[in-house]
Amino acid sequence: MLSSFDPRISRLELPESAPPPSDKAALDQFPTYEVFHQRKENAAYVYVGPVHAPEADVAFLFGKEQFSRRFPCTGMWVVLTSAIQVTEYGDDQQSVYDRLPLPLLPADQLAAADAAGMESYDIFHLKKRGKAHAHVGQVSATSPEAALQAAKAAFGDQRPVVNVWVIRSADLLRSDEADRDMWTTTPDKKYREAISYKVQDRIDRFKQEG
Amino acid sequence: MYGSASTHDIPTKATTGLENEDPILLAEFEARIARGEKIEPTDWMPQLYRKQLTRMIEQHAHSEIIGSLPEGTWITRAPGFRRKMAQMAKVQDEVGHAQLLYSAAETLGKTREQMLSDLVNGKSKYSNVFNYPTPTWADSNVISWLIDAGAIVNQMANAKGSYGPYCRALDRICAEEAFHLKYGHDAVVHMATGTPIQRKMMQEALNRWWPAIMTFFGPSDKMSTHTEILMRWKVKMATNDACRQQFLDMYVPKIWEIGLTLPDANLRKNEDGVWEFSEPDWEDFKRVINGDGPCNAERIAVRRAAEENGAWVRRAMQQPQAKYVRPLA
Amino acid sequence: MNPKLDLLYRLADDQLILGHRNSEWNGLGPILEEDIAFSSMAQDKLGHSLQLYMLLHELGEAEPDTVAFTRNTPQFHCCQLTELPIGEYDFSLIRHFLFDHAELLRFEALADSSYEPLALVARKVKGELKYHVLHANTWVKRLGTATEEAIERMQAALEFTLPYALGIFETTEAEPEIISSGLFIGEAELQRRWEASISKVLAQTALTLPDLRLLTPVTGGRHGQHTEHLQPLLDEMAEVFRLDPTADW
Repeated sequence: MLSSFDPRISRLELPESAPPPSDKAALDQFPTYEVFHQRKENAAYVYVGPVHAPEADVAFLFGKEQFSRRFPCTGMWVVLTSAIQVTEYGDDQQSVYDRLPLPLLPADQLAAADAAGMESYDIFHLKKRGKAHAHVGQVSATSPEAALQAAKAAFGDQRPVVNVWVIRSADLLRSDEADRDMWTTTPDKKYREAISYKVQDRIDRFKQEG
Repeated sequence: MYGSASTHDIPTKATTGLENEDPILLAEFEARIARGEKIEPTDWMPQLYRKQLTRMIEQHAHSEIIGSLPEGTWITRAPGFRRKMAQMAKVQDEVGHAQLLYSAAETLGKTREQMLSDLVNGKSKYSNVFNYPTPTWADSNVISWLIDAGAIVNQMANAKGSYGPYCRALDRICAEEAFHLKYGHDAVVHMATGTPIQRKMMQEALNRWWPAIMTFFGPSDKMSTHTEILMRWKVKMATNDACRQQFLDMYVPKIWEIGLTLPDANLRKNEDGVWEFSEPDWEDFKRVINGDGPCNAERIAVRRAAEENGAWVRRAMQQPQAKYVRPLA
Repeated sequence: MNPKLDLLYRLADDQLILGHRNSEWNGLGPILEEDIAFSSMAQDKLGHSLQLYMLLHELGEAEPDTVAFTRNTPQFHCCQLTELPIGEYDFSLIRHFLFDHAELLRFEALADSSYEPLALVARKVKGELKYHVLHANTWVKRLGTATEEAIERMQAALEFTLPYALGIFETTEAEPEIISSGLFIGEAELQRRWEASISKVLAQTALTLPDLRLLTPVTGGRHGQHTEHLQPLLDEMAEVFRLDPTADW
């Protein structure tokens, strides 16, 4: 049996020599979810990264600890990656809205069209390449394409906009207001913060004594 | 935590494949990088860029997940609440960094499960320092401080690179590693300025680790066409020698000031401000990186066991209708 | 024992020992993201135990590190559930599910304790425990309705673990005074709430909750009687400390 300096590993009772290599089964691949956090009250939700998870509720569990354990957070949204409609990326300093083809209908008529089929969409902008998408607001529309046109009308004056994400609001799993207390102790976990480790006094004392 | 082991993988063959790329798209791509703009996943990019970045970020990710093991060795034995909780948080962060980096690599087209598969099958490399053991608590402290310090030198440089998803991951990683560095320094200082038993433990651990630390950034770069292109594309951000010099300049004085010595009689800063040292044993480095180190077999065996023991969980959670798509950013 | 000390030692030792056990998964979990989540909860457990040892220190007991890392088996008051080795993930999840349901209900009740410093701690950690229970429920619901393999594993783990889980509610001689002084609602009431709480979740799965009245609780932990697994764990926790008891690590 494999004996290790790590007692946890010794307890795994692994064989001394490795079995022949074999590829991992392809079915191990979960879908991905994209995670957004709100860093403080009333701040915009900002993209923090993806998690792999079988379903949205599990993605929620994972997103919380992967992205909020080290930094304050007051709320979280998760969404299946494939549910996000993405525009092309523009250059920094530009707006991708400028590249949208003209709408088939003017904005006011578009908004009035087929009120029954209207749904809410959440709109996210990327201001600069290499930075993170941030929530700018919601629009109502009958399709993601129409939502993008509506977003242009509502938020198109913001500049620059390198990239836009359009997400049907119903597809976002949002943290519950009643569960805000799940996040309140993050700032208390001082052992995870650089500022808790102050050792200069000890060094100075050592030098004086030396 | 990561060193520049990947730089060995910069191809040495004469062709870069650039002659097969569309010259107009290539010119736009290079102009974007020259303007200081980041490349995002859906942008056009040369094959060489995609391949080299995938390999580099994947190896970085592997280094984090394997790098959680040498310090994990002391997780059940860390002395006292303060150390115990910090050790757990630090090891957890390494796993978290692996997750961030695998995600960044996935945006280039390789799935996470394929990367993990390549890791447990020995097809991919990871930072060579993690093939050495941590026989004492002090060894773990040396990693927490100095290996992380080296990694930060590297990562701060790479965070200025050209690939958006990698930069986003590194920004978060660097923010988290500020704690690692301080925690590691704190632990080493406590040992080095502590009781005779502690000082002896720490000095011995440092002696054991110093040769590996000196190889952390990899051998001097061979300046090839590839190296030049990868630097122009902001894939490789600093030479191995520059990183090593920066590390020595920042940390050797901090090591000396707490009464520790380093096992290299030739180590000194010359009048030009350049650190001189005995050339590390690169033959030994090659031997270990190719699989013949003290812990290579254990590291892979443990990772494989974790994968295999968790397989039933992943099988059970799998939704038949669910379809993997690569993360967006 | 003084009822406050009696209660605090039980609570603190449970969290310390289970936190240590769960920390063993760090870096070895079944999914990267789950590895991270499980580690956070283990850290929380240690954090909770530290806060409780600090209350003990205020009541005249030794420093938290001394209390946590230098006692031996007979001086520990954790239930035996917490000290069992981590086993496979099915066991670790079921233990987490059974323990944390009790823990959340316990701290919700302690938020109204007549012992104000403890009530303060309880109000603070309740939110963290809420996540622990959400995590446990999500996993039990998922795996408990998944493949035949997963359901069988979870059912077997549940049946193995339940007698130990009933040991959570073992009472001590201080129990009547703990209740009468308003320190805590008492173990019997807690157990009643716990049964309702776990039943509700298990009812949403293919898992069967055995008749708890037919099970023999594994007790003794609250009185310092432990499995053979505890002392090796305590030795491991204290290994570095013992190299030099005079040192500041």
